[in-house]
Amino acid sequence: MKATWDIFCTVVDNYGDIGVTWRLARQLVAEHGVAVRLWVDDLRAFVPLCPGADLGAARQMQQGVEVLHWPAEWAPAGTADVVIAAFGCRLPDAYVEALCSRPAPALWLNLEYLSAEEWVEGCHGLPSPKPNGLRTVFYFPGFTERTGGLLREAGLLARRVAFEADPAQRAGHLARLGVQPQAGAALISLFAYENPQLGGWLDALASAANPSHMLVPQGRIVPELCAWLNEPELAVGAIHQRGTLTVQVLPFVSQDDYDRLLWCCDFNAVRGEDSFVRAQWAGRPMLWHIYVQEENAHWEKLEAFLAIYRKGLSEPAAHALLTLWRAWNMHQDMDAAWRGFMVHWPELQAHARQWCAKQAAQPDLAMTLVQFYRNWL
Amino acid sequence: MKTGKELKPGTVLRIDNDPWLVQKAEFTKSGRNSAIMKTKLKNLLTGYKTETVYGADDKLDDVILDRKEATLSFISGDSYTFMDTTDYTMYELNAEDIEAVLPFIEEGMEDVCEAVFFEGRLVSVELPTTISRQVVYTENAARGDTSGKVMKPAKLKNGTELQVADFINIDEWIDIDTREGGVYKGRSKK
Repeated sequence: MKATWDIFCTVVDNYGDIGVTWRLARQLVAEHGVAVRLWVDDLRAFVPLCPGADLGAARQMQQGVEVLHWPAEWAPAGTADVVIAAFGCRLPDAYVEALCSRPAPALWLNLEYLSAEEWVEGCHGLPSPKPNGLRTVFYFPGFTERTGGLLREAGLLARRVAFEADPAQRAGHLARLGVQPQAGAALISLFAYENPQLGGWLDALASAANPSHMLVPQGRIVPELCAWLNEPELAVGAIHQRGTLTVQVLPFVSQDDYDRLLWCCDFNAVRGEDSFVRAQWAGRPMLWHIYVQEENAHWEKLEAFLAIYRKGLSEPAAHALLTLWRAWNMHQDMDAAWRGFMVHWPELQAHARQWCAKQAAQPDLAMTLVQFYRNWL
Repeated sequence: MKTGKELKPGTVLRIDNDPWLVQKAEFTKSGRNSAIMKTKLKNLLTGYKTETVYGADDKLDDVILDRKEATLSFISGDSYTFMDTTDYTMYELNAEDIEAVLPFIEEGMEDVCEAVFFEGRLVSVELPTTISRQVVYTENAARGDTSGKVMKPAKLKNGTELQVADFINIDEWIDIDTREGGVYKGRSKK
């Protein structure tokens, strides 16, 4: 009999929570043959990631996953063998009571945020015994073998390699997005939160000797793009030219199409958690816009990742990388940082491939979760 | 009832009806403005030790403990003897029982501590929020910096090292906030 998994997701803001849980749910079904129910409290964030999903459905099957609207008033729905509370979300009290009365205990996991900080290894897999006798386990994704790993579907990198080897696939995907890149132009994808440093970066691109074509899926950065272009609004498909820079707004695409977009581009600016991981699997130089936290707690997380990601780079290239990422996240001069980054382009390109290969040598998050459950049994 | 973020060394939690002493508690900001508390717990009935993690807002049952004022009497190897300041009863604890405050325990200290009892048994000792300690070694101050923003390492009598303001000199007394593992507060008025 199939093990049953319940994944609970509250949409706090943006697409990060649902992006990770939807990806995990799909992979568990497709690769590990388990039955997954994905409980989402706000389907409006889910539908853009899964075109064809029904915003009004209380229950629907999507790609083998039973997607359920998590109602404010919880109705008894049974419990699962494995329960994942994503990103600290609080399970319904009635569900917790039902867990208490199960004849066989369920494995209850708190799936935490991704961080490269050292403390993560020391907390990964630790129990959290509750007063009611239940135990949860804190489960941390991460970049080392002493963490839960990163989400990576089987065959993902092989699909990327095949895509890269076939110019027709690349051209076809770009054409479907309405993109006709100028010959020789560097393609750049941009997915970011609001960021006042955007203008400096765009200035650098617009005045560069080589042309570039920036592709911007709809999102929170678009108003700043409008401001720089001095346009009141930017509709999907809108194309604007400033100097050697072409800017184009794209529709919000599904996760699989977003992967292909990353594979089409030479450089990817990403944000949060899900797109950040996907950019690493794309194996291209990237720029991370980290989620801003109180008291600048995110700076430590940024530095922790940079500390491991920079390993293997020459000192000048590492410095250029740090300068660019810090500029983007700590409000420093992006114009100069970008120019400095481009000096080391070949080395940074090769490094992105190596980083991807190194991370891919580790077990992925879905695999480690399944293994953790087996060991727990 | 306590929340995860309120846990600190000396807290006793009731888990599965057993009393568990928090020996160590490390607060960490995780993602998106949430936080976790990693703890080291000791079962007061069996002596079994374990590590756990709690969310900052997790609700936990704590045990109301008896507290008495006590001062350090003497140290003998790994054994620390405290004396009740009212009835002069002597209580002995092992180093591991007071792991969290150990860096600031030293012979001759005069701090009035709180001895924490569970069912009549001393289980831990808590230091006052602010303590004064003498610096036995630190590098000379850089000339002219009086801002207190430039920090340097300093060593206390028991070997503990911490960061202090650059203007602190050898033999000076400093105030330390014991709540977050021991943080330099300023030059002591002592």
